[in-house]
Amino acid sequence: MNTIAETRSKSLLYLENVSVSFDGFKALNSLSFVVEPGELRAIIGPNGAGKTTMMDIITGKTRPDTGTVLFEDTIDLTKKDEADIAQLGIGRKFQKPTVFESHTVWDNLELALNRDRGVFGTLFYRLSAEDKARIEEILDTVRLTHRAQEYAANLSHGQKQWLEIGMLLAQEPKLLLVDEPVAGMTDAETVETAILLREIAKTRSVVVVEHDMGFIRDLGVKVTCLAEGSVLAEGSIDFVSSDPKVIENYLGR
Amino acid sequence: MIFRTFVQAFFACFILSFSVPAFAQSGADPKPLIDGLAKADFAEAETLIGQIAATGDVRVVPALDAFAEGDLYFRKSDSAVFIGKTGDAGLDLTDPLTGVSAGTVPKSAVTKIKINNNLRRVISSATGGLTLLSPDRSVRLAAADAVLASPGAENLGLVEAALAKETDPEVKLRMTEARAVSVLSSDRSIDEKRDAIRTIKTIGGNNALSILSAVSGSIDPSLKGDLDAALAALQSEQKLWDMAQNVWYGLSLGSVLLLAAIGLAITFGVMGIINMAHGEMVMLGAYSTFMVQEVIRNHAPGLFDWSLTIALPVAFLVTGAVGLVIERAVIRFLYGRPLETLLATWGVSLILQQTIRSIFGPTNQEVGNPSWMSGSFPVGGMTITWNRMWIIVFSLVIFFALLVVMKKSAYGLNMRAVTQNRRMASSMGIRTPWVDALTFALGSGIAGIAGVALSQIDNVSPNLGQSYIIDSFMVVVFGGVGNLWGTLVGALSLGVLNKFLEPSVGAVLGKILVLVLIILFIQKRPRGLFALKGRAVEA
Amino acid sequence: MISGFILRALEGKIVVAIAVLIAIAILVPVLNLLTPPDSALHIPTYAMSLFGKYLCYALLALALDLVWGYCGILSLGHGAFFALGGYAMGMYLMRQIGPRGTYGNPVLPDFMVFLNYKELPWFWFGMDWFVVAMAMVLLVPGLLAFVFGWFAFRSRVNGVYLSIITQAMTYALMLAFFRNDMGFGGNNGLTDFKDILGFQVQADGTRAVLFALSALVLALCLLTASAIVRSKFGKVLVGVRDAESRVRFLGFRVENMKLFTFVVSAMFAGIAGALFVPQVGIINPGEFAPANSIEIVVWTAVGGRGTLIGPIIGAVLVNAGKSFFTGAFPEFWLFALGGLFIFVTLFLPRGIVGTIQHGFKARKALKAAADAEKGRGDAQTVAQAVQAAE
Repeated sequence: MNTIAETRSKSLLYLENVSVSFDGFKALNSLSFVVEPGELRAIIGPNGAGKTTMMDIITGKTRPDTGTVLFEDTIDLTKKDEADIAQLGIGRKFQKPTVFESHTVWDNLELALNRDRGVFGTLFYRLSAEDKARIEEILDTVRLTHRAQEYAANLSHGQKQWLEIGMLLAQEPKLLLVDEPVAGMTDAETVETAILLREIAKTRSVVVVEHDMGFIRDLGVKVTCLAEGSVLAEGSIDFVSSDPKVIENYLGR
Repeated sequence: MIFRTFVQAFFACFILSFSVPAFAQSGADPKPLIDGLAKADFAEAETLIGQIAATGDVRVVPALDAFAEGDLYFRKSDSAVFIGKTGDAGLDLTDPLTGVSAGTVPKSAVTKIKINNNLRRVISSATGGLTLLSPDRSVRLAAADAVLASPGAENLGLVEAALAKETDPEVKLRMTEARAVSVLSSDRSIDEKRDAIRTIKTIGGNNALSILSAVSGSIDPSLKGDLDAALAALQSEQKLWDMAQNVWYGLSLGSVLLLAAIGLAITFGVMGIINMAHGEMVMLGAYSTFMVQEVIRNHAPGLFDWSLTIALPVAFLVTGAVGLVIERAVIRFLYGRPLETLLATWGVSLILQQTIRSIFGPTNQEVGNPSWMSGSFPVGGMTITWNRMWIIVFSLVIFFALLVVMKKSAYGLNMRAVTQNRRMASSMGIRTPWVDALTFALGSGIAGIAGVALSQIDNVSPNLGQSYIIDSFMVVVFGGVGNLWGTLVGALSLGVLNKFLEPSVGAVLGKILVLVLIILFIQKRPRGLFALKGRAVEA
Repeated sequence: MISGFILRALEGKIVVAIAVLIAIAILVPVLNLLTPPDSALHIPTYAMSLFGKYLCYALLALALDLVWGYCGILSLGHGAFFALGGYAMGMYLMRQIGPRGTYGNPVLPDFMVFLNYKELPWFWFGMDWFVVAMAMVLLVPGLLAFVFGWFAFRSRVNGVYLSIITQAMTYALMLAFFRNDMGFGGNNGLTDFKDILGFQVQADGTRAVLFALSALVLALCLLTASAIVRSKFGKVLVGVRDAESRVRFLGFRVENMKLFTFVVSAMFAGIAGALFVPQVGIINPGEFAPANSIEIVVWTAVGGRGTLIGPIIGAVLVNAGKSFFTGAFPEFWLFALGGLFIFVTLFLPRGIVGTIQHGFKARKALKAAADAEKGRGDAQTVAQAVQAAE
């Protein structure tokens, strides 16, 4: 008991026995999962393992049928909606890059900045020197400085992924959930993305869902393998990929 | 209809088990009795009339009627009795029983048989009872009704006699009621009267209620309790019938909504096209019916009862073809942009409306009801009109036919495949454009068929479609988009809800309330009654 | 803060549009009042009134564009807000008739006397004061939009569903206002107005002032809309339109953003209705008809949704077309309108102004790409810019 309580109090994100089903289909089946502050964690698993559903639950898009979801040990995420959770400091990148295509790259970042998000706060917002510097900094981090004034619609697929990561940075989250960040990227882009994520994880916790085993290996972090809505194995990439259950369920022979 | 026959059979059995008191027809020859009237005084005449009626011979009715009118005479020479009518040359005599002419005589040759009001009353109730024995079914029915309307103890014997002979279940039922009513005003035993009250109560209906209330003033005090109980039971039964009638009206409205919405359940619900021209498809169906009837009126009036049957395929083909053209010309460019289909199809609807207005004019067109769609019949305490009933039947037939097409046919499978995953379906060799076009044509065609049915209960004008479009969308959205069962449940429940609100708040306010309820409902369940749940829907 | 908010609104095209509107507000009444009727420059009163009506419609289209073009909420019930604003103004005008009505009742309008009302219904109180009536012009549509939107946006009723329930809303209101016992004149609505603020409604001078006001109010609303759209809030709105869930996951309360926009838009529509009623002289439940609300959508779509000038141009053009057709070929008006719908959705999805703007943007993108090539030699960028331009 003690150890559980201890794990919980130290955790940034704490999921215990979370279940949810859609029309009889159990998307999550008493899933338990803990992320510590400053941790970079990779999640793998076959399609339908519940990876995206887990993210939906953490970010408030879906409500679990049963189970506990805590942020920083005290905040019950099941009672909050997406906006609340985002303001608490959980950022999420979607599987399909989702940026504001009819805004410029700069405006995308400006919108994402962690500033007053109320109706009147945004109506009377003026770009301060400080905010300007922050945006320029992020542009540099995600390597988009030279395209700042272009419409996001005109970016390449990989650049859109980066812009979205940049927007998450602008949000200044404590926890970043990243869903398949390298899907559809070239090899060079994939390598760069791994570097970018490791850089980001220095200052915050990051959870990455990915299919690309090479990329996971590049990251070199603790891996959780999900299958049929619960955790199959957890540990280093070598430990997990040698687990017979993982091989059978996911990696194949 | 089946229900009705069942009720009648039930009462027939019920009545057969009745013990009819010993009252048989005398079967005597009425001729001497009538001749006896010649010399009878008033008291004797009254007895004779009773005996004449007791012969059960309906041929005596004209004679008795003539007696009451003062047209009965006897010949001075031989005291033979005749009916006499004043003619040009004197009095035209006819035989009282056969009606055979017996020549014309001067008034001095005959004597009028005297009549007074008491006798007239005796005669009228005697003839009323006698027609109960008429070979003509409708005369018997009318006679039973007459007894029901003015019940009297003096008819009791006749009614019972008639009842014993009666075979037609409907007439029998009416006579049983008439007998029971007569018993109540006779000097029969309390028990028999109690039975009578029970009988009337069992037969039920509005009639029973008014009969029993009418006798409540004059009833024997010892029966008061029974009567009040029967009245109370009838009243609560009446309430139930009123409720049933409301449900019926609701189902009837619901079936109209279902008809209007069912095509939209395909074009909007399944294909995702916000088809604002849907109402115009219904309208085109109604105009097709009008055209078919025009042709029949001018060329083959005998076929009029078949006009709707002919109009169904015509309307389906006409509107289906129009739908096909619309899909190929406009909608196919707009898949995946639902709000733009709204604009484009609204444009289409304006053009269709104006086209019809230019051809047929803005006024209502006359669409007739075939004979089998007219009239009504009662079921217990409520009245059901044939057209409403056929429309309910028809809407359900269409619904289930469509369900079968969607779930069982190869085409239905293709269609569901296309709507669920267009790219996957096309890579599996399904010709998606073809399926799209056919599906839209099917939805339009069904709207056209609905138009045939709606032409029977609504005004056929270019604006016909406009009055259904909003309701149709409400039904589909309320039921849950993409779910045919939802459309069925949605339509029927909205119909019933509407009709239950109507009596208390009025038609317009009822409709407003229903709209408000739907708006609130959508807030609670944004995807309708039967929504698909899960991750896929959100994506 | 506020000044920044306003200044930002004054971007090139908007300044031109506002200048044009102000010029119209001055010129048209002047040409109407001060030139002799036989002069070539004379604008007859009926033409001015007609044009004034178009300007009200333009404001209505602008209101719809704010929610539809910028926030992605296709409201099929904006006619309801317009009509409510109109009714508020109509009630004021009715009270101004006073004892000059047919029945001569100093308090009750004619229709109430006719329907045996004994006293004024509570919601008519205070409507004889212009200030109260004008407050109601804003408050009633605003409140309805607030209540409706509060429920709808919180439960995330979206897209088609929202369109359909807004249509149900205006339909329900139409049925309600057709009822005599609602206290708004039933079928006939409110009409036979005499005075506004003591001036004769029918007088040329009053009409000229009403016209000028319509143009000026439209300019003011255009300025406000521009300020909203160009603020960070406006950018969030466009975000909501294009990727609602992204906005949510960035921590914005999308329902509040939508609600604010919806309420502002409803108030614009209410103002448009209030300006419309004294110029046409009647308001009746027909204004709530769902078809009217759909027509607003056409004006906006034709002009170009997501641009501020577009809906104004669209409303004026389509309505001028309507006046022309219904006068010259009444049979063909619905054909023309229906055809216009289909044409615009199929071939001009951005509308007139949107298409022109897009052309400019594409050219700019091409030029930027060419510059980039000179500077950096980034071939990929050029390819994309060209692609975007096509």
